[in-house]
Amino acid sequence: MRELNLVLNAKAQGLLHRTFDFRFRAFAKDLASILIFGGFIIGMFFVGRTATIYLLNQAYIGQFLFHRFLSMILYLLFVTVNLGNVIVCYATLYRSEEVTFLMGLPISHGNIFLAKFVDNFFHSSSTLVMLGMAMLLGYGSVFNMPWHFYFLTMFAVVLPFMLIAGLIAVMTLMALIKVAARIGIRWLLTLSVGTYLLAVYGYFSLTNPVGMMQEVMKQFPNVHGYYAHLDPAFSAFLPNHWVTEFLYWSVNGNNARALPYLLTLNLVFVGLLVSAGLVARRIYYRSWLAASDARATRGPTISIPAGGILEFGSKRIFRPVADAILRRDIWLFVREPGQWLHVVVMVFILCASLVSIDSLNLKSSRPLFQMLSFLGIFLFNGFLVASVALRFVFPSVSLEGETFWCVRSSPVDLNRLYWQKFLGLLAVVLVVGETLVVVSGRVADFNPDLVTLAVVSMAFVALTLTSLHMGGGAYFADYKERNAIRVASSQGASLTFLLSIFYIMVTVTILWVAANQYFEALILRKTPPSTWLSWPVAFIGLISLLASIATTWLGVRCFRRDY
Amino acid sequence: MIELRNLVKKFGSFTAVDDVSLRLGKGEFFGFLGLNGAGKTTTIKMMTGLFEPTSGSCWINGHNVHTEPMLAKRSTGYVPDQPWLYDKLTGREFLYFVGGLFSMQSGVLRERIGEMIELLEIGGFVDRRGEEYSLGMRQRIVLTAALLHDPQVLIIDEPIVGLDPRSARLIKDLLKLKSRQGTTVFMSSHLLEVVDELCDRIAIIKNGHIIYEEMRDGSRIHNGKLETMFLELTR
Repeated sequence: MRELNLVLNAKAQGLLHRTFDFRFRAFAKDLASILIFGGFIIGMFFVGRTATIYLLNQAYIGQFLFHRFLSMILYLLFVTVNLGNVIVCYATLYRSEEVTFLMGLPISHGNIFLAKFVDNFFHSSSTLVMLGMAMLLGYGSVFNMPWHFYFLTMFAVVLPFMLIAGLIAVMTLMALIKVAARIGIRWLLTLSVGTYLLAVYGYFSLTNPVGMMQEVMKQFPNVHGYYAHLDPAFSAFLPNHWVTEFLYWSVNGNNARALPYLLTLNLVFVGLLVSAGLVARRIYYRSWLAASDARATRGPTISIPAGGILEFGSKRIFRPVADAILRRDIWLFVREPGQWLHVVVMVFILCASLVSIDSLNLKSSRPLFQMLSFLGIFLFNGFLVASVALRFVFPSVSLEGETFWCVRSSPVDLNRLYWQKFLGLLAVVLVVGETLVVVSGRVADFNPDLVTLAVVSMAFVALTLTSLHMGGGAYFADYKERNAIRVASSQGASLTFLLSIFYIMVTVTILWVAANQYFEALILRKTPPSTWLSWPVAFIGLISLLASIATTWLGVRCFRRDY
Repeated sequence: MIELRNLVKKFGSFTAVDDVSLRLGKGEFFGFLGLNGAGKTTTIKMMTGLFEPTSGSCWINGHNVHTEPMLAKRSTGYVPDQPWLYDKLTGREFLYFVGGLFSMQSGVLRERIGEMIELLEIGGFVDRRGEEYSLGMRQRIVLTAALLHDPQVLIIDEPIVGLDPRSARLIKDLLKLKSRQGTTVFMSSHLLEVVDELCDRIAIIKNGHIIYEEMRDGSRIHNGKLETMFLELTR
């Protein structure tokens, strides 16, 4: 225990020094972060509150369905935190130089494991916890819950819930590393991705949200009843179910029925923590050695086909510098399993979202419904594009890494290099965004005028999100961090993502005013005014261009600063 | 070939390099000495465009490194103290990459890589990935990359640390040869015997100031007692 305290204490000291840095630049940066985070925390409070009031009082779906939908969101969160921890823990528990250093000291392996797990969990999940707390406050305020409800829910329900996801992740990871030595890393990765996708697909197939909603709505107006017989049997074993059952019974004032769920969550958490400690004592060191061996005894390098167009030394496609950078970026990307694995996951999410839009059957002749669908789908597409930008654009500058010395000391025009990276990434984000808009527009059978509005707006959104994430990535660049996923989950990345969400909300608000004008005309059987399409596009364009210019200027400046 | 004029670098209130001026001629082999944290690497980083000076200027081959960086860097080869490579690229791919950054013609580049592989004896590992290299292997790949475009100025930060005796001899001979062929070599090192053996002239930096600089008339003031003099001056 003393060893664990020492390691955690050293980490806490480092964190304190970073947090309480009162030099002007650091202080200004921290103040800006606090203001932006604070703004979003307040925003999330209102989102939580408004969504709860809307669903319960206007959409009138009833408390049972409301908490079941919340449970589904929590399930997705659970899987995301779990998968995120598997990926990030691999970097921190198995590839970190700090672990290599600690392994050489007389410290028990179990304690090294616990110290790194705690560090890792709070590094990657603190933003989620803060925003979750704000939403919880918004939710609880609708039911006028007392202060101790929030305290209890945050620390005895939400935190154990997320820690359970993290603990399962690290135990899975240790097992995977052991198995990897036998079946090979590629098979293992494929199997793991398949398992996660199956877990999501299986959950929603068995839970059948549409069927559940239809069954509850048959009881209308008695939608506030407790229809637990509609739950599939397996859901009783899931942590997301325990959280929502605790919330359901708490807001209904039945503490006796809420308490068992709280106890279950905490008992499972403690059980998993003890198990993880024991498993770590037994296999962490051996799995760390296995991972080190695997790195030291690699198979043959993925060979570049001789004479292939992308082979280093083959005929250049572009000017020498641009060509060298392009080939480097392509090969560094395809040889890093974490990168293409995330591409596969992202493509799956994008396809799944399009299939979901199709299955929602939004082909409606009711103008109001069409308008809501249009705005909702645009908003959703915007979030997806922002996620792609966060994951692949934001880390692009940091991934220059410590080998950036090589580029910086060469006769390379850094402005041009920044623009080259920017244009390549913009092309990717633009293709993703426009594909989503066009396909979802066709699937939902929107009027061609609306699709045109969405296509043009998405072009501006793609431009702004790329500029914002590239500029943010340059401003918060961490050349020492080799793991793209950790870069994309850093505090700077969270801030940039929150800013991009704010920008998307502004864009959707402008579109809402335009769409409102259009559909009002349709309802009144008039022709929409000729300016309904041009002025919102001009307004979105102006905001987007200003945001893009500002963030690109910042990005280029930061890209050139002392390395 | 290299000129530093009143170079100053401040990090907040800390002055890392304070009013450093130096002048190196063609083919000169210059040793830059100093204790840890004296300002050697900061000076080198300003000479290679990695740091911007707070005031003063660096000139390479008649070009200001910060106002005409492309021209200055084109004639410079740089070997950093930490030879970072791309983990996922092989040594050969890294050399092609660096050749591209210096806009070398494809045919010339291929030929030059072949020659350099022979010269630096890196054929045994040049097709393995960066993540598989030892420190010494990395240093040899980075030195190869620095010499690829046949620079007129070579700036080297700690070139011998981590090398086995055979590799160290190979590199020392190569650097001496390059100097004789007219390349100006600016070398920072802690290894006094290496500096004594290779350099025509030395300077010692302490707390950001040059505290000792040998004249350019070829006379060696330390006269074989470099260690004694260094310890005395840096006390």
